[in-house]
Amino acid sequence: MPLSRHESASLAKGLLFLSPWLLGFAAFTALPILLSLYFSFCDYSLLQPPVYIGAANYRELFRDPLFYHSLGVTAQYSLMALPAGMLVSLGLALLLNQGIAAQTVYRSIIFLPSLVPAVATALLWLWIYTPDRTGLLNYFITELSLHTSNGAAWLVKPHLILPSLAFMSLWGVGQTVVIYLAGLQDVPRELFEAAEIDGATGIRRLWHVTLPMISPVIFFNLVMSIIGTLQVFTIPYIMLDVTGGGTDRAGYFFVMYLYDNAFTYLRMGYANAMAWVLLLLILSLTALAFWSSKRWVYYQGR
Amino acid sequence: MTQTAAEIARTHPQPAPIAAYAIVAASTRMRARRRRHWLTHLALLLICTGFILPFLWMVSTSLKLNQQTIEYPPHFIPSPVVPSNYWTVLTHEKINFPLFARNTVIVAALTVFGTTFSSALVAYGFSKIRFRGRGVLFAVMLSTMMIPFPVTMVSLFAIFRWLSDHTAIQFLGTFKPLWLPAWFGSAFNIFLLRQFFMTIPDELSEAARIDGCSDLAIFLRIILPLSRPALAVVALFTFMNTWNDFLGPLVFLQRPEHYTLGLGLQAFQSQHGGTEWNLLMGATVLTILPVIILFFLTQRTFIQGIATTGMKG
Amino acid sequence: MRLLSRTILALMLASAAALLIFGPRPNPHLQYRDGSPVPPNVTRIAYWEKWGGNEARQMNEIVDDFNNTVGREKKIFVQYLSISTVDKKTLTATAAGVPPDVAGLWDRQLTQFAAEDALEPLDNLAAEHGITPDLYKPVYWKSCTYNGRLWGLVSTPYAYALHYNKWHFWAAADRLRAAGLDPTRPPATLQDLDHYAKVLDLRDPGTGHIERAGYLPMEPGWTIAVTAYWFGGNIFDEKTNKFTLTSPQNIAAFNWVRSYTLKLGDAAMSQFSGRFGELFNTPNNPFLTGQVSMVCQGPWMANYIYDLKPSMSEALVPYCLERYLPRVARPFNYKWDVAPFPSAVPGLNGVTYDSFDVLVIPRGSHHKREAFEFLAYVNRQDVQEKLCSMHCKNSVLASYSRDYIRTNPNPYIEMFEKLAASPNARGTPTVPIYPLAEDEIKQAAQTAALQLDVPVEQCLQETQDRLTQKLDQFLDGQRRRVAAR
Repeated sequence: MPLSRHESASLAKGLLFLSPWLLGFAAFTALPILLSLYFSFCDYSLLQPPVYIGAANYRELFRDPLFYHSLGVTAQYSLMALPAGMLVSLGLALLLNQGIAAQTVYRSIIFLPSLVPAVATALLWLWIYTPDRTGLLNYFITELSLHTSNGAAWLVKPHLILPSLAFMSLWGVGQTVVIYLAGLQDVPRELFEAAEIDGATGIRRLWHVTLPMISPVIFFNLVMSIIGTLQVFTIPYIMLDVTGGGTDRAGYFFVMYLYDNAFTYLRMGYANAMAWVLLLLILSLTALAFWSSKRWVYYQGR
Repeated sequence: MTQTAAEIARTHPQPAPIAAYAIVAASTRMRARRRRHWLTHLALLLICTGFILPFLWMVSTSLKLNQQTIEYPPHFIPSPVVPSNYWTVLTHEKINFPLFARNTVIVAALTVFGTTFSSALVAYGFSKIRFRGRGVLFAVMLSTMMIPFPVTMVSLFAIFRWLSDHTAIQFLGTFKPLWLPAWFGSAFNIFLLRQFFMTIPDELSEAARIDGCSDLAIFLRIILPLSRPALAVVALFTFMNTWNDFLGPLVFLQRPEHYTLGLGLQAFQSQHGGTEWNLLMGATVLTILPVIILFFLTQRTFIQGIATTGMKG
Repeated sequence: MRLLSRTILALMLASAAALLIFGPRPNPHLQYRDGSPVPPNVTRIAYWEKWGGNEARQMNEIVDDFNNTVGREKKIFVQYLSISTVDKKTLTATAAGVPPDVAGLWDRQLTQFAAEDALEPLDNLAAEHGITPDLYKPVYWKSCTYNGRLWGLVSTPYAYALHYNKWHFWAAADRLRAAGLDPTRPPATLQDLDHYAKVLDLRDPGTGHIERAGYLPMEPGWTIAVTAYWFGGNIFDEKTNKFTLTSPQNIAAFNWVRSYTLKLGDAAMSQFSGRFGELFNTPNNPFLTGQVSMVCQGPWMANYIYDLKPSMSEALVPYCLERYLPRVARPFNYKWDVAPFPSAVPGLNGVTYDSFDVLVIPRGSHHKREAFEFLAYVNRQDVQEKLCSMHCKNSVLASYSRDYIRTNPNPYIEMFEKLAASPNARGTPTVPIYPLAEDEIKQAAQTAALQLDVPVEQCLQETQDRLTQKLDQFLDGQRRRVAAR
């Protein structure tokens, strides 16, 4: 359908205003993505020009035990950190929504750690998790258990690494809590009053009124968390051994392996193949979340 | 009072920050008059103590002598207190902490200015100008937020290398790869600003248009001045993100004299043991100090901003 | 309140501005040792090195020496920069096209970098400077070559040997003699070492916790990947270009590592040695605290002992007075001693793992000739002896002066010199995927040590299969790239 004079004038104006983004999108998003796809079919070390090798990278990837291992590590971590994070942040938001005095102070304290740069968090918790008694965490355990236990080697023992990282991630739930708080405060008061009149207790009110009303927020946080936990890199990179992922590579996350392939082993093509697997994984999980959202997400006023 | 606020919420499917703030303010005032919940207080007190403890430990360690950091039992209050650790960090022979700070400020400043202005420009286009295909482009832009950085980082590296080789301008080995993309708008900021612009009544721009103003003039003289709170949120968020960024500098910065604070902090870590934790914690405190101070100064703006991102659902 | 926050905000902005205007610049003013500034027509060479602390200071002295002598003459100025994970950073910087002019790497990645085309070959420059293989101890030179070309020059070499605590031996003399062992000599064979270790183990009778271990393969475990050397074997056959991890020597080696876990108990061992890895450079180093009686370490240990636990080297008199001690009394000043690490093969003596720190010139460096001047300087006999003396390491050159032996702070330096040149000294295999291989073999060793239900042969076989596959892929890729040119 051809555009009218007015419409084409608007189009020109619109595109003009959009031009920075259009240029940036082309140069820094679209082009790299297409190149990335091309590189994933190449053998590319950056010190030499890329050589096309077909799907060899993908074939090798699906036979690579370290690929599955790092995926497994990421998945295990997500299964621990995600539900824990959502429960804790929701719980904290509910607590903060009680209307008590000084709640702004509490809210600020809870929010603050989420502002700390990942590097700082990693180093601080590396210090707290010191494996012998002088580490803060182990000190508390030693005292609380009345010296029957000396704590544990949190970041050394393979089966403790992921739980330690997941526990640490709870320190940074502040942002999520604030988003939940905003969502909670958006719930109209009459609904609560109506439920009370109908005789609903606290828990029932929670389950039947609060949760459905904030389901869009829960959904938003769920999607953000999925995308986030699949890309964990900085914290394990700094906290765990230089050999990659600590003892037994128990903390070798997917993006760490990707980074190693790209910049340590200089296998850029292989790294790009991994990146595309990651992208497809994120897209499909998000699509799954969107599809399932029809069942349980209730949008106000729609 | 709350009735009106809730009505606003219901009629605006995407509540504007102003409305959100009104709701928060109204409900807070009402509930504060209710009976205190001491159980909630207790729970929150315990939890907040747990949240604060790491910070206190960090500061405490930064004021200790090196041998005190490995003593048992550990003490929260160091004796003696060694504030000179901070001086040692700043004047360290091998690790040039002020240089890293300066580098971070440079990158942060360039990024904040670039992204604020360009994102506002683009957001105007997405909100105030109706043109064919606007919805599609907006959807495309939103979807770019989901692209994980690892997908583009290797290609970006290669692109910058190619540019450095084939043009007279050096990219890798400078700060450019970190701040240049920001000057072309960032999807998150564009989205935030667009949502805000949409709450500005069209009558204002219509009136100006009738008076003969071009869109650019409307943008500069009417929309921008009205958007100061939203622009502040964008600037703040961008500053925080740049200050805290690690993977970007890790990938794109090669020369140690260009390192930002995140990379520089790692320099205090030793590979063979013997990390001086007191200095490392001191450096960490210095690194997060600006962020924390900024937060306390701009709390309201900050939390509002975060809330808005979640509200769009 | 608002005024306060506005003021603080203004202050922050002001300090940011001050930092920007008056803050330190990336390119500092370079100075000679005497404080005179470096003139602008002098070529600046960026030298990235892994060392921090004392070793950095010592190398800096050499750099200063160079700058003040050859540097002034040829208008070169070397700037030393301490870089953590220098290998990764150099590779990325080379890939980015902005490498340092000289990089100080470990031998383990030399072949990899050369095979990846990340380094400049040094043959021509070496020939110009009269640097020939016969000047060097053979193992070191060989490990610097790959595919017939020279890729780096050694900065500081070393050889691993058995460091043992004489005090412990003498204190346990009765028990050692009862076990048929001589407390005045180091173990002569690996089996002897095991016996000594067993006698020297101390446990707390109440809790069963280990208080002292005679020997722990994983402390420090830096040579664990090449344990096969002491069993007369190899991990890589350079003639056939194949990994030989499943050879009987490797299996024996890993079983030997496992035997220590079996002897001490997995849980007890982990609890005892969990933190040892990060304590190397601290006074809590287990050899220094006496928690471990014997370790396989390199010559730098003398330095670390002087720094962190000088009492171990000053049993009779302080170090500065040592020269007044009669010769026969001097060994008694030291509570520790060094001997070649014993092998498991009767008659196979003088086995050691020769390893080294190496200086390379990354590809794309703009000042190759000037950079090589520095490399050549470091390999001059007098400079080599000065540097290695400071690090307490042995020299890389075949010949060394008597002065060097006399003045080297490492009391056992002569033994190290002979050991490093021994015919049974082995070096790092020149296989391009060595960093990956060493990591994998180390993981396999850890599995052998800690996961007692996994058979050693299976573990080694899996590792070998993986590594063979990776090597084939790498060589294929190399061939492809050469063909594409």
